[in-house]
Amino acid sequence: MSDFITKSIFEILSQYTTETELAWLEQKSQAESMEVMTAFVACPRFLSKKIIQPSSGDATRLHTELPGFSVQGWSLVRLARVWLLTQLDSSDKETYVNHINTLFDTAELNELVALYSALPLLSYSDQWLFRATDAVRSNMGFVFDAIALRNPYPEKYFSEAAWNQLVMKTIFNDKPVHLLEGLDNRANETLAFILSDFAHERWAAGRSVPAQVWRLVSPFLNETLVNDMRHLLESDVVDNQRAAALVCIASGYEPALKLIAQYPELKNQVSSGQITWADFETNDLNA
Amino acid sequence: MCLNHNQTPNPSHFEDSDAANAPAHRDIAWNDYKDLIAGMRFFDPHIHMVSRTTDDYQAMYQAGIVALIEPAFWVGQPRTGLSSFKDYYSSLVGWERFRSSQFGIKHYCTMGLNSREANNEPLAEQVMEILPLYVYKEGVVGIGEIGFDDQTPAEEKYFRLQLELAKEAKLPVQIHTPHRDKKKGTERSMAIALEHGIDPSWVIVDHNNEETVKSVLDQGFWAAFTIYPFTKMGNERMVKVVEQYGPERIMVNSAADWGISDPLAIPKTAALMKMRGISTDTIVKVTYQNAIDAFGKSGQIDVNDFDQSANNDLTAKFHGNSILRGGQQPVANKNSLLIQ
Repeated sequence: MSDFITKSIFEILSQYTTETELAWLEQKSQAESMEVMTAFVACPRFLSKKIIQPSSGDATRLHTELPGFSVQGWSLVRLARVWLLTQLDSSDKETYVNHINTLFDTAELNELVALYSALPLLSYSDQWLFRATDAVRSNMGFVFDAIALRNPYPEKYFSEAAWNQLVMKTIFNDKPVHLLEGLDNRANETLAFILSDFAHERWAAGRSVPAQVWRLVSPFLNETLVNDMRHLLESDVVDNQRAAALVCIASGYEPALKLIAQYPELKNQVSSGQITWADFETNDLNA
Repeated sequence: MCLNHNQTPNPSHFEDSDAANAPAHRDIAWNDYKDLIAGMRFFDPHIHMVSRTTDDYQAMYQAGIVALIEPAFWVGQPRTGLSSFKDYYSSLVGWERFRSSQFGIKHYCTMGLNSREANNEPLAEQVMEILPLYVYKEGVVGIGEIGFDDQTPAEEKYFRLQLELAKEAKLPVQIHTPHRDKKKGTERSMAIALEHGIDPSWVIVDHNNEETVKSVLDQGFWAAFTIYPFTKMGNERMVKVVEQYGPERIMVNSAADWGISDPLAIPKTAALMKMRGISTDTIVKVTYQNAIDAFGKSGQIDVNDFDQSANNDLTAKFHGNSILRGGQQPVANKNSLLIQ
């Protein structure tokens, strides 16, 4: 783990803590492992309730050091817990892994959130893959959010199948997919077809699909997906029509371009940048 | 409720060794005492809700119990591995706390290795290693219930280790006093606590009776009384204790668990006190305020949270799980927690 990012985190911590609080954290971080772990649990007893809103400079620095990593909107306790985890002695792999696993096994909800938020910063990254995919299966909303949203770990370490499961679960949970780090980088054909099947099931049941999920299919258009775009363009929902226009044009796929040519107004709005995927991005976590 | 004498060979909290000459306990029907305690709020500082039913939660809420403390204890079935302890401790701050909130009752707990299971030393050793990770969790108001059962060397060892943990974590201690050889066990527990330099005002000595109470109070400890039907400390006797010793540093609890016990012990005792003309001020102290003052030293009790639990949302979920089962609808009426 780069020292830079832990220093940056500590720098943010120092802006949100009193002298006493910071001294407590520093002292605990230098103690032996069990004391660091206990401090991880005890944070709410020693730190005040605050929400972290990093300056744009701090946010950029974090993002530069670890792309996709963000502490925006975290509680002070969550940030302090993540920092304490980075201070655990990792020199002996077996001991370190045991310690982290013990924290997972004994964690309550907020501790789990901190642990999953810290995955991209922990040593021996591949050791946490099962935990991470298990969190995707979790029915605890906050735990799911911690691994799925604004967390660079899945993009880096998930297999394609695990990644696709994560995306579909995000859609199922009505969470905004654009908060998944690496959404475009990890787009794949299998996922595009899963999405199409999913949409057909929903449409058959008289239900809808959030328009922004179609951004995942642009590079993989085939006949079936072009038909899906036609279905969207013919629907009464403006967002569906706009999403289909964005997909068709981005795809560069001839049949899709022909299709969108029949909707000159939408086509112009996309070409002139009046419509972008950003229009569909809501931060409603539906918690 | 309270149909039988509790004479099982392994009593949960009390043994009934001699038949009382005078009635020690009186059961009262809800309709006969609800008016006496109307508007009163109660705090049960010792009750094992994992062993109780939804009916109990509903009756407790109806009777005015607004908050409770669930001490970690022996659940009856011996635990064979560390994982069972972990899951049990997690349930005290997790599922059971959530379940309680769904019935409008604020749930706290104390964490500890109980004396009976302290005798399984290899396991006790492992439990002690992870215990610090639980005692600092939010809503943990003490180390408990710890102390003596058979008064073995192993029990003493883990009692002492946990007293040190309480000191380190700045948490009150909830002491379970033994069923057998109670008087000596109580004295020994207090002497050891003092030997470890623990301020007696941070220690709640539980399951007192007329024989133990004076020494406990004289030495500056809190004296808790468990109202377990048809045992030595019935509610009739409790009233007499309060008449004799007054309300200072005395508190009542139900210690209701998997044995024949009564989760309404506190409201019933309060009603009985009222019938005997004991002042409301005294009743409030022994059935509510003293427990809050004692366990509140943990810094984890905020009475404002009590009212918030009353605005519970029965459709809320814990880890995605609801207390409602398929097809059940919550009743929106705050005054009634009955799910029909």
